[in-house]
Amino acid sequence: MKSIVIAHLYPREMNIYGDMGNVITLVKRLEWRGFQADVRAVEPGRPFDFGSADLVFGGGGQDSGQLVVGDDLLKRASELQAAAKDGVPMLVICGLYQLFGRGFTTLEGQEIPGIGIIRARTVGSGVRMIGNVTVESAFGKLVGFENHSGQTVLEPGQDALGQVTKGYGNNPESGLEGAVSGNVIGTYMHGPVLPKNPRLADHLLGAVLKRRGVHELVSLDDGMEVKAAKVAAGRPQ
Amino acid sequence: MVTLTLFVTKLAAGLSRSLGRGGGQALPGLIADKLDPHLAQTLSRGLPKGVILVTGTNGKTTTTKLLAEMLAAAGERVLTNSTGSNLKRGITSALIRAADWRGRLDYTVGLFEVDEASLRQVAPEVSPKHIAVLNLFRDQLDRYGELDTTAAMIGEGIAATKARIYLNADDPLVASLARYADGDGRVTFFGSAVQLKRAGTHETVSDSDRCPLCHTRLKFSQVMYGHIGHYECPRGDFVRPMPEVELRDISVSNLERSEFRVEIRGKRCDFNIGLPGLYNLYNAMAAMAVGDGFGLGPEVMAGAMRSTQAAFGRVERVEVEGRHVVLLLVKNPAGFTQVLETFLIGRKQAAVMMAINDNDADGRDVSWLWDVPLEALAPNAADVVCSGTRATDMALRLKYAGINPAVEEDFGKALGVLMEQTRVGETAYILPTYTAMLEIRKLLSKTTQIQEVWK
Repeated sequence: MKSIVIAHLYPREMNIYGDMGNVITLVKRLEWRGFQADVRAVEPGRPFDFGSADLVFGGGGQDSGQLVVGDDLLKRASELQAAAKDGVPMLVICGLYQLFGRGFTTLEGQEIPGIGIIRARTVGSGVRMIGNVTVESAFGKLVGFENHSGQTVLEPGQDALGQVTKGYGNNPESGLEGAVSGNVIGTYMHGPVLPKNPRLADHLLGAVLKRRGVHELVSLDDGMEVKAAKVAAGRPQ
Repeated sequence: MVTLTLFVTKLAAGLSRSLGRGGGQALPGLIADKLDPHLAQTLSRGLPKGVILVTGTNGKTTTTKLLAEMLAAAGERVLTNSTGSNLKRGITSALIRAADWRGRLDYTVGLFEVDEASLRQVAPEVSPKHIAVLNLFRDQLDRYGELDTTAAMIGEGIAATKARIYLNADDPLVASLARYADGDGRVTFFGSAVQLKRAGTHETVSDSDRCPLCHTRLKFSQVMYGHIGHYECPRGDFVRPMPEVELRDISVSNLERSEFRVEIRGKRCDFNIGLPGLYNLYNAMAAMAVGDGFGLGPEVMAGAMRSTQAAFGRVERVEVEGRHVVLLLVKNPAGFTQVLETFLIGRKQAAVMMAINDNDADGRDVSWLWDVPLEALAPNAADVVCSGTRATDMALRLKYAGINPAVEEDFGKALGVLMEQTRVGETAYILPTYTAMLEIRKLLSKTTQIQEVWK
């Protein structure tokens, strides 16, 4: 089988809080099952063919990083929307989760338009939501670490990733965390999210391989993953 | 008022110590904040040669120690704060402890390491004569927020004083802080001109590789480590400033020490330091830049540097049951990477203990472990044991780097494993986060000779 292509959105600008660990996890869990992965960086201003991508990943970044990639992402909106519609699995964290929504209104009232793959809006706030977070989801109990001041509100009909059982999630009021839209998942969870939530990682990889005609995902020994998740879930918020 | 505040705060410190609550390090400062928030200002006026502040992400403690030895060698009586007490209250506490009941100090100069986010509170209080900024790396993002924010906070501290400013020319974000120092001739840059021919240099996440002014990606003609190097903005908005204090040649560099040549304002001088690693040469460069600005001669600085031992927990060597144990504090991706490159990658490997805590002082977010290029250890990895509150996170990171470690959350048990894995006469490494380091040193102090932490 040809290598599984992972399109990594803006790795140099959006790489805060160890989000690179998600890519490492995807690659390793493919390799352990006998598949090759080919991670290709999407760089601002450089052409990229999303038609070749089996999976799209994007992390969080500093404000300066977000500013740099915002315009570039808009130029790729239709291509990414088409890929999402096509069922290409995508995982976006924090900053890129926000930009995959309809848009971000900063604390100063500036509008940063998003690409609308996720039906949600984010508004900047003066409160930073920081700490360990746990979530009940279709992929079991998820653990992560959040660090954001943007508050995201899902539109009616937009599914969340899960219910917050510790921490803030999308915003302090809704009790919801993240968003799921087809094979696209957005979340505020760093940690990074995938290593300690192998079921979520395998959900994405299962969807990738299904599109390649592989319907069975060989199970792996997740002993250390489960142990680390349990410890993390037991830490105070 | 000064006398009354001193009386209350000194009493509190004494009580705290006798109750065994740490060393009463920050308590006096905490109380002083309530009674007389400008006590530090009043007291520091009693230092005839003023105050020197050292800040930046990595190397504060080592640089401060180097500089303290240099100043002492020149006959100065140096008042310092202990590491871990580098917020405003810690510095106030150091002044309170040193003062007599009437607020008089028997010191000639104050030398304090200052937390990056606290410089803007400390600087206006103590009116420093000199401020050194070492580097800015991602560190405890749950506490500091973004790197640009940290830089701006340091800038605020610089702008609030008339101090001489010493900046790392090779760190673009640090070098850009010169814009906060209005007025000519107030800034001195230090850096390195050495062409590095190092094996085992690894691509890591770069923390700030964009122009501090226009955010265009910088062009690097040379990378020393992380984002430290020689750079210029392709749009011409920013370029590496020429350092007045510059590393010119490294003749010896091993796990014990380095010998190197520095050009200080055009004059070449040879130095010898009992610390390994390029990152420690940058610390030395910073200490020399400040020393030179203070008026110390190169001979005095060289003499002091030769005899300086590592600060506690930073390349600290301890004998444990006949084994050589080296403590190497790791706090963030840049520091962890430097420790790996200096001591472990590409070498015949010793047993290693990675001790990761997630207490407030460590940073509660351990995501950063995934930004450390641990994959580079895999080809010749020896035994690794993971310990601390987040031992399992460390172990999981190592699993994905192709290394299969042992896990013992308890430091005592993990030390036992490390000793089993290390033969008598051989070397083992302990890589702890900050609070893990304190706990491990406490354990070690029961069985071996180790300098008391609260000194």
